[in-house]
Amino acid sequence: METVQSTTIEDRKQSAISVYRTVWRWHFYAGIIFAPFLLILAITGSVYLFKPQIEQVIYQDYWVVSPNGEKLPASRQIEEVKKLYPDAVVTSYRPGENSNRSSEVGITNNNDSLTVFINPYTGDALGALNNKDRIMDKIEEFHGELMAGTLGDRIVELAACWAVVLIVTGLFLWYPKKKSKLLGVLVPRFNKGKKILRRDLHAVPAFWIAGGMLFLIMTGLPWSGFWGSNFQSFATNTGAGYPPSIWTGNAPTSGVKTKDIADVPWAAENLDVPISKIQGFIPVPIDDVVAIANREGMHPSYTISIPNEKEGVYTLSAFPPKAQDEATIHIDQYSGAVLADYRYDNYGLVGKIVAWGITLHKGTQFGLFNQLISLLICLGIVLVAVSGFYLWLKRKPKNQIGAPVAPGIKKMKVFLFIVICLGILFPLVGLSLIVVWLLDFLVIQRIGAVKRFMNA
Amino acid sequence: MKNKIQLLFVLILSLFLNACSLKEDAADLYQKQSPLEADIIIPKIFSSNTQENIKVVLTQDGKKVEGADYVHFEIWKQDGSLHYNMEQAKEVGNGMYALSKDFNSNGLYYIKVHASNNGSMIMPQKQFVVGELTETEIKYLKQDLPKNDAVPEHHH
Repeated sequence: METVQSTTIEDRKQSAISVYRTVWRWHFYAGIIFAPFLLILAITGSVYLFKPQIEQVIYQDYWVVSPNGEKLPASRQIEEVKKLYPDAVVTSYRPGENSNRSSEVGITNNNDSLTVFINPYTGDALGALNNKDRIMDKIEEFHGELMAGTLGDRIVELAACWAVVLIVTGLFLWYPKKKSKLLGVLVPRFNKGKKILRRDLHAVPAFWIAGGMLFLIMTGLPWSGFWGSNFQSFATNTGAGYPPSIWTGNAPTSGVKTKDIADVPWAAENLDVPISKIQGFIPVPIDDVVAIANREGMHPSYTISIPNEKEGVYTLSAFPPKAQDEATIHIDQYSGAVLADYRYDNYGLVGKIVAWGITLHKGTQFGLFNQLISLLICLGIVLVAVSGFYLWLKRKPKNQIGAPVAPGIKKMKVFLFIVICLGILFPLVGLSLIVVWLLDFLVIQRIGAVKRFMNA
Repeated sequence: MKNKIQLLFVLILSLFLNACSLKEDAADLYQKQSPLEADIIIPKIFSSNTQENIKVVLTQDGKKVEGADYVHFEIWKQDGSLHYNMEQAKEVGNGMYALSKDFNSNGLYYIKVHASNNGSMIMPQKQFVVGELTETEIKYLKQDLPKNDAVPEHHH
């Protein structure tokens, strides 16, 4: 009887150690592979947080005008832009949210998307910016897809998902074995030697920022190209997400039959087009669309997207700093009828949560306070990634990567189960796990030197 | 183990392939509008010295609109020589509203219908020709300019 009991205790101890080792091993590899990406995300994110303030400074000459009487109608301002860019297609108009703000006319000129800034009181152009040259857009692209398109987007998503794995495994490793100890858990131990201090400078701050980091990951994921778009489509399809066209899905179409629309004769050399063809509906003038926007109470920061196809609609959209002010209105190009009017209140519950998540993630929801909290989390992530890397460098034996020994994964039923669940919830993680498993099965386990190096 | 992995693979692949699509009728799950639709009927032939009847048929939610809140017609000529101010159209029945006007001079015309019913307001605008076009009008049509220089009145 006694021998049996003591073996079970031994077994338990043994299995506790091997669970600890497994978790550590996962934390170790995930950290080494994804720390550089988390570092990039944290640094670009820290800068992007302050987009409003930074743009206010660098675009001051384009943005700020001094009020002088009545603003000119939108059509007049757009005419000025057409004089400057005769071959351009006008794609959007933004009236400016207050009396000191210039109007913006979006155009496509020789395949470039430009924004032309207009003084709405005089009609003078203040300058034009090529959208792809805008520094904050570049930083956003770096943050969202590492400037590498779809592949970059997937890498960022993968790094974000694996960061969740890092948080979960990290918390497990951090969790104190003896209760009621503050030092080394909530406060670093400064007087216990370098080794302990190094460990504490990674683990303790990591614990403090874990919640914020998880929040940034979960609020950032809905943006991602793969998990995010599927998630958004799923939410929209169930009626709980954003209404269609705000994130995924198409806008409604203008309801006039093509044959009832007036042709554009200036496309032809002469007017041999039968007269019946130039008879028909013509688009509602932009000034009427502005009047509709005012009538419907759009947030003053709205933009009008101007349709360039026969079935297209005018879309009014505003995504101001606070989620609850968001609005998207689609207007029939020929009748001016409001075809869809989606406000924050019309979002499903998931849509509302995602909308709040986005404004909190961007740091706009609560202004400066929000930005500073997010900055603190980003700096924490930088510290934790760097200290983790340093910890590894200091502990690493020569000729070996320094990973904890790998116990057979099949023994860890619960852990395996959790990993598979995570892999299904985040298919990119699942896919990367399969790749790792195949690599392990086909390469690492079969070549002695590699196996020793990886401590597998 | 192998079977499990294969199963996982299939599951993940299927997620990759079919989760992305948005249902076409997803919009029905959210706040819906009932936009007014207008079919503006212009006579095929204009004869001089008689009044011509311009009609609009209004539909909303697939039904003909009886007793609309208002239906006003505004008609003007492109060259600015004529401008019929906003005027209420008479309800003919079966969703049709009509107004008779003189069109004694040839040229390029515009009609704008201001209508409202049950929360939807519309202002469709149609371009039409009476008789022949003048050289200036042809030139005007060829220019990519906003097509209604005559400033229309606005409802408030």
